[in-house]
Amino acid sequence: MTLSFPRVLTVARREFLTAIRRKAFFLMLVGLPAYIVVVTTIAGRAEEKERAQVLKELSTLGVVDSSGLFAGAPREIQTDVSTTDMAAPGPGRGAMPAIPMRSFTTKVLFYPDQRAAEAALRAKDVSQVLVVPADYLQQGRVRRYARGSSLFSSADRRAIAAWLAGGLVQGHVAPEVAARVAKPAQHEALYTMNRRGEFELKDDRRELVDFMLPFMFTFLLGMCIVLSGQYLLQGLAEEKENRILESLMCMVSAEELMTGKLLGLGAVGLFVMLVWVGGGLAIMGPTLAILQAVPPPSLIVLALVYFVFAYLFFGSIMTGIGAVTNNMREAQQFSVMFSFANFIPILLLSIILARPSSPIAVGLSLFPPTAAPTMLMRMSAAGAVVPPWQIALSLALLAGTATLTLFAGARVFRVALLMYGKTPNLPEILRWARQG
Amino acid sequence: MLEVRDVLKTYDGRAVVNRVSFDVRPGEVFALLGPNGAGKTTLIRMITDILRPDAGTVRLEGRAIDASVKHLIGYLPEERGLYRRSKVLELLEYFGRLKGMTPEAARVAATALLARVDLSEWAAKQTQALSKGMQQKVQLCTALIGEPRLLILDEPFTGLDPINVQLFEEILAERRAAGATVLLSTHQMNKVEEVCDRALMINHGTVVLYGTVRELRRQYADHAVVVRTERMVDALPGVKTVAGANGDWKLTLEPQATPESVLRALLDRGVAIESFALATLPLEDIFVKVVREGVGLDQGASRAPAVQEPVTAGGAR
Repeated sequence: MTLSFPRVLTVARREFLTAIRRKAFFLMLVGLPAYIVVVTTIAGRAEEKERAQVLKELSTLGVVDSSGLFAGAPREIQTDVSTTDMAAPGPGRGAMPAIPMRSFTTKVLFYPDQRAAEAALRAKDVSQVLVVPADYLQQGRVRRYARGSSLFSSADRRAIAAWLAGGLVQGHVAPEVAARVAKPAQHEALYTMNRRGEFELKDDRRELVDFMLPFMFTFLLGMCIVLSGQYLLQGLAEEKENRILESLMCMVSAEELMTGKLLGLGAVGLFVMLVWVGGGLAIMGPTLAILQAVPPPSLIVLALVYFVFAYLFFGSIMTGIGAVTNNMREAQQFSVMFSFANFIPILLLSIILARPSSPIAVGLSLFPPTAAPTMLMRMSAAGAVVPPWQIALSLALLAGTATLTLFAGARVFRVALLMYGKTPNLPEILRWARQG
Repeated sequence: MLEVRDVLKTYDGRAVVNRVSFDVRPGEVFALLGPNGAGKTTLIRMITDILRPDAGTVRLEGRAIDASVKHLIGYLPEERGLYRRSKVLELLEYFGRLKGMTPEAARVAATALLARVDLSEWAAKQTQALSKGMQQKVQLCTALIGEPRLLILDEPFTGLDPINVQLFEEILAERRAAGATVLLSTHQMNKVEEVCDRALMINHGTVVLYGTVRELRRQYADHAVVVRTERMVDALPGVKTVAGANGDWKLTLEPQATPESVLRALLDRGVAIESFALATLPLEDIFVKVVREGVGLDQGASRAPAVQEPVTAGGAR
């Protein structure tokens, strides 16, 4: 197989320019990150708002204490909650930004019996009613009455539980001890080991960064691979539907056409990656630097290497699918299961991030269809150390499989490109892949 | 110019093109004929290096057909299309660059071709904005760009109005005058008679007719003459039957008689002759006769088994 480099470059250039000149491409390039930011922000704000709303609505708690254990309990519940305003700068250069707190106060009113408390609840004199039975100490059972409840926040339950804990020991121990029992770890600071082997503070923000970095890395890589593959598929489907392939193949060989397409649309994927990473760093750079959330250069280089091999693997499959199918609808039906493989690690994100060296994480990072996103997720997970042999083996397996699919894809592409009508069955496709 | 020798292509063990050989000479317009499914498209695809023959050779200007000679070929397939969202000029430039032209040369050539087919003002439009006839002209330009030495046109006149048919014929003549060789595949036999020097007909992948158009028509002519005259006489020597009306008469000759002897007999009997010609069959009738009756060069032994071309682009012809 002799390839004419100028012809390959001409095809690649056209594929690249055609893809990036589409209005849909621009919308995706700018719109998708904006959409994710907006949705994530709205979801975060909504959760925070819901928590605040629940505590705000718990302005008065009616208590029916049949146990007599809480006669001396505080008549006020003070609840402090943190907000997740990531953009707020911290005091001083290089320091962790301070976490803004918000306080809520709940008055506690005692009622002699449940009927009176329920009447107060119905009259909206109290927000909720807590009934503490006589055998509370033995059974630990309480009943809570409310006009409604939030599906998404249990902040009120946690506030009442803290009051119960403090109330139980009130009068038996010093007031400051009682207060501490109510909030035993009010300002907990968790220190975890970073990649350099140093312990660093892991607060809510750090936790968010530890989640977001691997997630974004995996998502970005998966998106770029799938995107390039989809453009490949779409281009081929259009060429088949437009019946232009025969004219083209009089001037370029199937191999030149396939290589040009792979190069051009791979460049589109890289371009998207660069724009998104560059844009993200430009906008979030200072905050990420403070949070030490900027991925190390070695990880970025490895991401590019993984992208190249993973793209060759998926791209070859997509060209094969594009060649054997008759239109975009058919092509997408075939391609969806291969594209989906890129997002399997995201579905298993909690397992992989919690245990980056678990058998499932290692297995998925060695299995070629899921290797690239899984390995990058593992490597960007907080504190994770991936043995170099696993990276080498994963890359070798992926590169080997990509080479095989490239050759098989080229054979299928050459045979099937000018076939219309019946979609070939799997044995036929496998025969073409073997024999060309 | 083009040498095709013993070319064989099989699908699933069936010969779609069966040991076909022919030559196309420099500067001639050569017709490739055959019924639907005869193997014409497969043959053209082997000439254009889209398919590789299982056996045999194809040579263009003495060189084996491969990627290095692709730029010498311009091809207008029957199943044709364009990138719908591409601008007309950009599309032609792309095709020019694929043929090895520099960007500047491709732009100049594309602009000139668009001017030639009266589409200059559409250069910046997307091809989907063009009418079907205009698209067909752009498709012809994609085949012409780069001034190919061998121009292969598959049903180029289909769907064109008479003005555009004339334009295509003029361009064909221009290319021929410029030294290009044209391989024309069509079912429009009148066009073959008008513009082609020689023809090859295949049926079931096998050559059944091959020669100059004139030779073929003579070969399949009845032993008869056509005479235009006001008055026809009876009992002419060497004439078996006389049929006709309104001054046009067909005289079927006895086996031993010649057209010259009949002409002499007519003149001797004082018949005023307006025209006298051999009664040749139109190419269309020869085509039907060869296909229906299975006559031709390769009756019998070398006939390929009945084959169907796979359902492919341009295959269902």
